[in-house]
Amino acid sequence: MAEIKIFGYTDKLSVKQGEKIDFHVSADGTKTAKAQLVKLIHGDEHPDGPGYIDQEIDNKINGEWKVEKQFTQLGSFLKVKDPENKLAIDGDFTIFGYIYPSTPKTGHHQWIFSRWDNKTNEGYGIGINKDGYLELVVGDGKEVDYLISELPIVKKIWYFVAATFNYKTGEATLYQEGVLTRYNSLLGKVVPYDYRSHTKTTFRFKQKNNPNTPFIVSGAEDLHELRGRFISGTYAGKVDRHGVCSKVLSKEDLDKIRDGDLPENNSIVAYWDTTVGFSDNGINNTVIDIGPNKLNSEGHNHPVRAMTGWNWNGKNDNFRLAPKEYGGIDFHPDSITDAKWNITNSMIIPEDLKSGIYAIRLRSGPGTGLSEEYVVFFVRPKKPNSKLCFLVPTASYLAYANEKLSFEATIIQPMTGQPPTITDIDIEQYKNPEFGLSTYDSFADGAGVCFSSYKRPILNMRPKYRTSGMGITWQFPADLSIIGWLEHNKYEYDIITDEDLHKEGLDCVKPYNCLITGTHNEYYSEKMLNALEDFVSEGGRVFSSGANSYYWVVAFSDEQPWCMEVRKLEAGMRAWAAKPGEYYMQTTGEKGGLWRTRGRPPQKFAGVGFIAEGFDTAEKYRKMPDAWHRTVSWITEGVEGEIIGDHGLAYGGAAGVEIDRYDLSLGTPPHTKIIASSGGHSDNYVLVTEELLYAYAGLVGSLDYRIRADMTYFTAPNNGAVFSTGSIAFGQSLPSNNFNNSASTVMKNVIDAFIKDGKLPGGAWTLEEKQWK
Amino acid sequence: MLPEQSTEIDDKDEVYRKRYDKMQREFLKTLICDEIIEEHKNKPLGQHSEALERVLYYFRRAGMNDKYVVKCEEPFKKYKIMALSGVRGRSPRLVEDKIYETVQAAYHGLFLRRVQDLMEA
Ligand SMILES: [Fe+2]
Repeated sequence: MAEIKIFGYTDKLSVKQGEKIDFHVSADGTKTAKAQLVKLIHGDEHPDGPGYIDQEIDNKINGEWKVEKQFTQLGSFLKVKDPENKLAIDGDFTIFGYIYPSTPKTGHHQWIFSRWDNKTNEGYGIGINKDGYLELVVGDGKEVDYLISELPIVKKIWYFVAATFNYKTGEATLYQEGVLTRYNSLLGKVVPYDYRSHTKTTFRFKQKNNPNTPFIVSGAEDLHELRGRFISGTYAGKVDRHGVCSKVLSKEDLDKIRDGDLPENNSIVAYWDTTVGFSDNGINNTVIDIGPNKLNSEGHNHPVRAMTGWNWNGKNDNFRLAPKEYGGIDFHPDSITDAKWNITNSMIIPEDLKSGIYAIRLRSGPGTGLSEEYVVFFVRPKKPNSKLCFLVPTASYLAYANEKLSFEATIIQPMTGQPPTITDIDIEQYKNPEFGLSTYDSFADGAGVCFSSYKRPILNMRPKYRTSGMGITWQFPADLSIIGWLEHNKYEYDIITDEDLHKEGLDCVKPYNCLITGTHNEYYSEKMLNALEDFVSEGGRVFSSGANSYYWVVAFSDEQPWCMEVRKLEAGMRAWAAKPGEYYMQTTGEKGGLWRTRGRPPQKFAGVGFIAEGFDTAEKYRKMPDAWHRTVSWITEGVEGEIIGDHGLAYGGAAGVEIDRYDLSLGTPPHTKIIASSGGHSDNYVLVTEELLYAYAGLVGSLDYRIRADMTYFTAPNNGAVFSTGSIAFGQSLPSNNFNNSASTVMKNVIDAFIKDGKLPGGAWTLEEKQWK
Repeated sequence: MLPEQSTEIDDKDEVYRKRYDKMQREFLKTLICDEIIEEHKNKPLGQHSEALERVLYYFRRAGMNDKYVVKCEEPFKKYKIMALSGVRGRSPRLVEDKIYETVQAAYHGLFLRRVQDLMEA
């Protein structure tokens, strides 16, 4: 019998009491699974903590679920909406377009422009054959004719390509010319390559057009017995403007189109102008056909737009300045942003289910490892009903979703200072491209992944999961240590997610006195950051529990809020770098990169910002002189001596993993107090790249005083305040000694003060001192 | 690498990388001694002596093909050593059946294999 495996995801991460949530589950080796609704309390199995804790909840959703194997469409492509089958051309045709293939020679056929059925061999199309040559294919369901170019395609060069077919005479031509400039391609003019090929032949067969075959850019229609219709033969690379004409265009006609002209109007069946639709606020997934039939195409699995086109001149560095130079659309055969599995089961969240973090636990067979799955979701109250709220950093979970660093990033071991510790779940995730990539990975063609979605199982957003690169909990399961602390201390709290904050802004958090953030809330949209800033300046209090927070600029579209865009560029600790000219996000038109490079360093909001990461060890904090200041001494009340956090489930210390520092030059509020600082970090803790102007030897823990976590506090208008721990490991330090420890004492002092209405402790002194010094 | 082999390589950077790697290995071999092995055994992660740190930097930077990783069979109880494929989608392979009871012991077992590979290469 096949090994039992179960995986699932929900249609939304955040759901309110009374709302419906759908579960999408796929299983191997079993037709049923036992489901149990659980409230998640603690997710780290480290023996120094309380271990995994959940609470089973009675609900009619519990019991045996019917499950099935589900299939996932991989690869990004455009599908043309052609209800009248205008592209089913039973006659002469020309297909043309600009292409920039990333990996022309893959050993597989890549379809670029096709109205082709891979199962029945019907239709027509052009693509790149397995040896890396441009190819025109025509088929009638029985026989297939091919025409191949003379020279192989050179990777990452812009070409104009075209194919013509004379229906009567059978004459077929294939046109291939390089259109590289000083800027647009990998290579320049000094390389003595000939990119040009013109071939001609006479076909014996003609295209047969099946009415059900769609016109696809990057791929072709296919059929599989179990899974039904899908797209195969997807393409790695960019396309720019492309089209189809219902006549044989001459070489002279094609030369003109190559140089940027449109074909003659009366011959156009479709001309997709990939530069149409841009605004200052980006562009969506619809590609506009400016021809007479308006056969627009729709992107699936997020073809990447706002990419430089064939005519990019290197002067305009974004599409807002010159949309006509940004016709590039980049396709990746391993992109997946919506698994589109069938709904396995649905649930109405009971009105009396407390706001919190929940999962449907699914078990089948042995019910451990791959045969146990927790499909996690976050329940909000219908109306806010606590003073305290935990803001779940779902944007950051998305960024890390199913990352594969341990398996393929040479940088991971030098960075973490240790070999990875992998499990069967990691191996399964790595073996199956269907789980998709994270924004820390690159596509097989080398491009960085700039979209990540939760409409797929996210295997590292699970309780008990330990991140393989570092052997500790990370993100979601680490955040459960804060939830565990809240539960242990019997605080009343609500849950909201980044998605809620993004959609609703300030309204979403205004009812609360205090917000607690996650251990690593690194990814922020402008709306999210604005909401937090307004919250604090209007009197809200934030306990910023982690580090490397408020760091990357990200974007969400209103239509597809489950999918996040990020572009990594110029500065920052980054897994990849966007290509020149591709720094602006298609979703909003904003420049990507770090908030710091857009005038909003994290220090400005949180008092501290990213300074170093190390992962091999963690340290403790030592109180700084400010800790005894009468305005803030309440924060460390009950902490004997100078040491805070000499314990924890992440390398035994509360200060570590990634750490943040106070910096007036980056906008730390001038009246900020440093309550405590860590130090003595190992040399594996290295200064972050955004701090670097010149690189020089010794930017490491034992040689650079800046490498430390600062625990800071400042007050804001209207009784607002921000407390920052400056360390990711702080959250994981809370469960030590059954939540009884110095880090926990500090957090309790701060939270108790932050949830109270009215004035904050220590405030009585401010008037007397005039300035808060 | 023989000169005639290196002219066959498309990426000439690789030719130099191999030369550099050979020099590194020759030097690092001179650093391997009982003291650093004992030091690693006592403290596999964190700040080390310069000699051990240099050796570890080298090991950690290695390419992904056949790179050793720890495999957790049972959290905090049972670990093994595997080697990565270096090819996306292809499973790592188990390199030995030996079971380590702590992750620290596995880190050290993995280190010993890397030392052995270095000395034998
Ligand atoms: Fe991060």
